[in-house]
Amino acid sequence: MDDVSLEISQGEILGLVGENGSGKSTLIKILSGIYVPDRGHIWIDTKCYKFLTPSQAIKEGISVIYQDFALCPNLTVAENIAIAQWMFSGKRLINWRNLYHAAAKSLSRLTDHIPLDVEVGTLSTADKQIVAIARALLENARLIVMDEPTTALTEKEIVTLFSLLRKLRDQGITIIFVSHKLQEVKQLCDRIVVLRDGRKMFDGSAQEIDLPTLQVYMTGRVIETTAAMPREVSTLQPPLLRVVGLSLPPYFYNISFELKPGEVLGITGLLGSGRRELALALVGILRPISGAIYIEGKQAKIQHIWDAWKNGIAYIPEDRITEGLHLPCSITANVILPILAGGFQRRTFFKYSQYKNVGEEWRSKLNIKAPTAETPVKNLSGGNQQRVVLAKGLATKPKIFVMNCPTMGIDVGSKADIHKMIRLLSANGLGIVLISDDVPELLQTCDRIIILKNGKIASEISPQLTTEEKLYAILLQENKNTQQL
Amino acid sequence: MKIKKVLNKHETMLFLTIWIVSGVIGTFNPAFLSLATVFEILRGSVPYALMGLGILPVLLLGEVDISFVGIAAVSSLVAHTLLRRWGYVGGLGGYVGLAMPIGVVLGVIVSLISGFFKLPVFAVSLGFWLMLYGFNLFFISPEMRFDLPAGLVGFYSNFLFKIRDPVVGETGLHVGVFYVLLCASLIWTLLRYTIYGRGFYITGGNKEVAFRTGYNIISLLCIAMAINGALAAFAGVLQCAYKRFFDPILFRGTELFVIAADVIGGVSITGGRGSVVGVLLGVIFIQVVTRGLIYLGVAPTWQQFTVGVLLTTFFVITGLRGQIRREFIRKLTLCVKRQGKNEES
Repeated sequence: MDDVSLEISQGEILGLVGENGSGKSTLIKILSGIYVPDRGHIWIDTKCYKFLTPSQAIKEGISVIYQDFALCPNLTVAENIAIAQWMFSGKRLINWRNLYHAAAKSLSRLTDHIPLDVEVGTLSTADKQIVAIARALLENARLIVMDEPTTALTEKEIVTLFSLLRKLRDQGITIIFVSHKLQEVKQLCDRIVVLRDGRKMFDGSAQEIDLPTLQVYMTGRVIETTAAMPREVSTLQPPLLRVVGLSLPPYFYNISFELKPGEVLGITGLLGSGRRELALALVGILRPISGAIYIEGKQAKIQHIWDAWKNGIAYIPEDRITEGLHLPCSITANVILPILAGGFQRRTFFKYSQYKNVGEEWRSKLNIKAPTAETPVKNLSGGNQQRVVLAKGLATKPKIFVMNCPTMGIDVGSKADIHKMIRLLSANGLGIVLISDDVPELLQTCDRIIILKNGKIASEISPQLTTEEKLYAILLQENKNTQQL
Repeated sequence: MKIKKVLNKHETMLFLTIWIVSGVIGTFNPAFLSLATVFEILRGSVPYALMGLGILPVLLLGEVDISFVGIAAVSSLVAHTLLRRWGYVGGLGGYVGLAMPIGVVLGVIVSLISGFFKLPVFAVSLGFWLMLYGFNLFFISPEMRFDLPAGLVGFYSNFLFKIRDPVVGETGLHVGVFYVLLCASLIWTLLRYTIYGRGFYITGGNKEVAFRTGYNIISLLCIAMAINGALAAFAGVLQCAYKRFFDPILFRGTELFVIAADVIGGVSITGGRGSVVGVLLGVIFIQVVTRGLIYLGVAPTWQQFTVGVLLTTFFVITGLRGQIRREFIRKLTLCVKRQGKNEES
């Protein structure tokens, strides 16, 4: 970070945006007292600090809520909220009744649907977040820093979170909202600060700036957000993938669709609509109870992910860290893994050095930013890691790509690159099934969009005939119906 | 709602299981269902319960230790050798007073090595397990020592109150049970009502949180291993006094039984979960099963095999318990509801 000045007044929601490596996390860590700045001062009210220690930060009421929320899954909600505060106030013994009372008081400022005596591990992500906020409030937080709070939330939960944060702001609590989802930042925040390469690029009211300008500040380049060109997908061509009556209760029922070569089919729906399970069923991780999958007209039995590979279906999992990559291994090792393990090349013994050129080839082909293909994947940024996952799938020379939220938690620049790549792949005749909850992404890349609702196909729309607002409306309106049911 | 919660507790399930198992054994051999058996089982549980309680804080932290049996053997034998050399003729007090500090020191050494070199306790304790038994056999005494002081003679029948049983003869509630309850209530208070004790659960659940909250994780480990060492030493002395000889390879091979008892009692091997009541019930469960097999007439050669099969079955069932329990509770609540409706109508 280089010569960044920031000013935050009480009862304000400040949006802090920037790409990966722009210095957002460094700034947070300085505020919470983990890093010590080389130069500069921190003024809180009228006090001036050269740097903060973690305990000073807490005393001054600065509280950081990290992405993992830092909760104990094995303890109850009440204990998670109150124990740290009891520890800081120097108590030695626990009075459980008082502890529950304190926790209840803090939690009631936010919501009333979370019971105090359940284990945190059983809560949903959104509820865990609320527990983390309640803990910060009990510690008398005046400034709450939230690091990427919306990544793991559904559309509806984000709406709830935003109204909650606005409520807190009205109670006089200052919030720094760190994100790279520009739309959300603009929607929620009063003021926006953009960081790039450790410098402040922009600081101003959220009303005065529009999204494209914000994007330019953030990435330093203009990103094309033109909607997908309406392309001629010949209706005469035989379908590449045909799914007939696929059912797996209680996740999805009677799903049928077709995918032509060169087509990008979007599948969306709220969390729990069955979109994730449908993706898993297409690649054989879940086994549907009834229905059939035809690939190029022939029925394919996909009982296992190996069958999917052999039938030319590649899969990009939702969570690249746990499902997509072997983090300590090199790019090469990750890329060649499905080729070797999937039985595309049967060898009893193999020599790693023979495959080094394969890794290099994919590194240059997909423009992965790494010194060599031997770099461990964990050293790469999110966008580049996702490119390695793509390379893994592409190395098996698939005909069909099933992508499950491929741009989750990636900065805007890499996201645009991946969208470009998707269009390029489909232009080469691949069929792509894109499962996503990112509405702009669906509109930009897909030829058709299927909306799932309670495990059934609710409607099918063409992106040319709809707008972001309409699609959001469809998703949320369905949500209301679900609640009524 | 409340019934559901109590039924959902692992301890409740285990308690019911113990009753069911005892009932089954009792139908085959009615002699099993007597007060004498209860006292026998309780007396047999004493050393294992102490060691099980001792290892609980360590397991809560997410660490596994097996050196505690070695600590028990060394501290009891060293205490005995020293006390005999000094001409001690008293009872348990002197033994406990000398053995427990030795156990604490040994436990703390293990925890400091693992804490400062950032090793898992298990790795260090593997080394210590061998080293401690080797120390006993080489430096202290390769033979069993039967030279009990006058104060310890008759400890095996030191009952709080006595009953007469037609089969066993005179028996009663052994004083060791009282010691166990004392230790259990101390540890229960520590784990439930002190901020420091909650640190064991917090560390086991999420180390990062414990660190940020301000717990010193090495100090927590030290305290856990100190408790572990102290209670192991106590268990060692009690066991030797009860068996009427001091053994250089005391408890060798039973460390896994103790850990198994804890796991049966609902203690998570990965940390963060477990209760004092669960540990006590787990120890009693193992005692009921092993003793029950004798009453059922299972040949001694088959006993270990059978216990192993039973333990595996138990773990498989508890692994499935999510489904089974949910089904069981659903049916039970249905029954209760139906009864309620019948009464109303």
